[in-house]
Amino acid sequence: MNLLLQNISLPLADFTLEIDAQLQCQVTGIFGPSGAGKTSLLDLIAGLRQPASARIALNDRVLTDTAAGVVMPPRLREIGYVPQDLALFPHLSVRQNLLYGHRNGRETGPLFGFEHVTEVLQLQPLTARGTGDLSGGERQRVALARALLSSPRLLLLDEPLASLEAGLKAKIIPYLRRVRDEFQLPILYVTHDEQEVLALCDEVLEMQRGRMTGRRRINARNP
Amino acid sequence: MTANEWQVVGFTAWVAALSTLVILPPGLAVAWLLARHDWPGKSLVETLVTLPLVMPPVATGLILLKVLGRRGALGGFFHDRLHLDIVFTWRAVLAALGVMSFPLLVRSAQWALEQVNPRFEQIARTLGAGDLRVFFTITLPLALRGIIGGVILAFARALGEFGATIMVAGYIPGKTATLSLSIYQSVQLGEDATAYRFLGVSVALAFAAVWASGWFMRRQRR
Amino acid sequence: MNVMRLLKALPALAVAWAGVEVHAATITVFAAASLTDGLGEIARNYQNKTGDRIEFNFAASSLLARQIEEGAPADIFFSADEAKMDALEKKGLVEKKTRRSRLSNSLVIVVAADSPFSIKSPKDLTGEKIGHIALADPQSVPAGIYAREYLNKIHLWDEIAPKVVPMGNVRAALAAVESGDAEAGIVYKTDAAISKKARIAFAVPRQDGPEISYPMAVMKEARDPKAARAFLEYLDSDAAGRVFAKFGFILENHAP
Repeated sequence: MNLLLQNISLPLADFTLEIDAQLQCQVTGIFGPSGAGKTSLLDLIAGLRQPASARIALNDRVLTDTAAGVVMPPRLREIGYVPQDLALFPHLSVRQNLLYGHRNGRETGPLFGFEHVTEVLQLQPLTARGTGDLSGGERQRVALARALLSSPRLLLLDEPLASLEAGLKAKIIPYLRRVRDEFQLPILYVTHDEQEVLALCDEVLEMQRGRMTGRRRINARNP
Repeated sequence: MTANEWQVVGFTAWVAALSTLVILPPGLAVAWLLARHDWPGKSLVETLVTLPLVMPPVATGLILLKVLGRRGALGGFFHDRLHLDIVFTWRAVLAALGVMSFPLLVRSAQWALEQVNPRFEQIARTLGAGDLRVFFTITLPLALRGIIGGVILAFARALGEFGATIMVAGYIPGKTATLSLSIYQSVQLGEDATAYRFLGVSVALAFAAVWASGWFMRRQRR
Repeated sequence: MNVMRLLKALPALAVAWAGVEVHAATITVFAAASLTDGLGEIARNYQNKTGDRIEFNFAASSLLARQIEEGAPADIFFSADEAKMDALEKKGLVEKKTRRSRLSNSLVIVVAADSPFSIKSPKDLTGEKIGHIALADPQSVPAGIYAREYLNKIHLWDEIAPKVVPMGNVRAALAAVESGDAEAGIVYKTDAAISKKARIAFAVPRQDGPEISYPMAVMKEARDPKAARAFLEYLDSDAAGRVFAKFGFILENHAP
């Protein structure tokens, strides 16, 4: 993939988010302490917040260009977003949550089939349930599957394992790997956990107080 | 309670229900506009919407009388083109009840809509939903209990409306006599027993409505 | 220096002011709405003459009687029909010796000044084009009761009743006709006389109309019965009579 983040500037409470980078690996980690502006960056890419200035393009599709006055609305960006609080719709069943964005397929139909995704993330027995009955790990997988089923070109994951305890984290990581390998989607993975970076990412951007403070390739992928 | 008295109660309930139904779509629309966004003129609209809540009801009734009368801006159109009278008919009652309960509906619905976590709406957008779909599938269902509470409150206000109604519809037995108008009339005529019966019904209705409204409001998710 | 002069004058001013307070009374008169203009002028004349202040509460006689029953502070009640005064007398609220009636009135059918309707007789009120007929509430307000009495007498009440819009008092009925929201109304001749926006379409002949009588009396609970009686005498005088006649009221001949 080719994600251009040019001249991004967004004033936040204590500092200004300023990023200028081009991302080309499949899984890019965004690593930094909490409050570094990582979530704000994801919001900008998804179109949920507007920057003071920026040029954001994904695979030559311009999503935001403040200089040219171009701002594509979120629903057209085809970017799947799994926020930190998951935001599972509480009034809909698991199945309804999963299928919410499913009609949003491209001209040829949805990219990933319902059966396929639910099988990869092992959600078949859960689909009839309400979202209130799920465990932490189950909620995580449902949020992930929901984003996948909307046929995204890019997946944004905001601290997907942050609220899980260590044993559960270890269980979810294989799912994330399956998603990475099975669906071949570019992924932006925000985390403050070094282990997750090593387990899943091809490259990692380090962020502190709104700025990129480092960038490194992860040598080899863990099998 | 005599048959006539039940007719008054029935008429009042029917017009109040109808007026609540009529103000529901515009009320929800205004509540949504005020809840989420900031736009030039928003404070002005918010103030105008709240006015009937704070102005003396008879003052609002006077404005309605001028506008809905046969020589008024709206009333003239209805009278000349549609051959319909508003003032001194049940339509005037409908207008008075609607206008007076509108602010309550908007404020309650606005509050309920503001309780909905905007994150849900944002994620729905990333999943491809447009504004209308987000409103009907996410925002509205999540705000529903609070909105229902507001609808009940508006209905209760309509049931009890007096000042604007007497100005614009008058007390015409069998045609515009509402519960509150009838209480006033009975007292004026010295028919205390009738007045007290109407009073009892009023209190019972108001109590039930406020209770139910509160029940729904408390169950509104935050 | 001016301040000193003012300070020296203060005691004298205070005495003078107190003196005025002691001699001038305030008299509260509850009167039928149709008397608004006539009584207004008479009161001004009386105030100029004696320095007493007259405060009015103009409304439907039925409403006023109810208020007095509930303890409202009226010194004089000037009603548009005898029935309301009788009711108060039965409750012992009236200074019977002061009660008298010298005024009468007549009824007219009015339409808006620019109205296209021509009402040549009461029968025209039953016409299709007449949708709303404004009356003072025929259940309680004298003007409305008189109108219903008249319409009953000429056997038109049943036909006209569905079109009747009962108003709070006779001036409200007049206003409804003036605004155009009622095609016609029945009010007193004296009301039509002061209206610029309504005109008389038909004047009810005295012999066909009901007996209209305006009794007035001092209330037992009057705060200053002496002053109230003095004003009542004035209301019964020739000077007041001339003003009433000017506004179109009919003076009954009776011994004061």
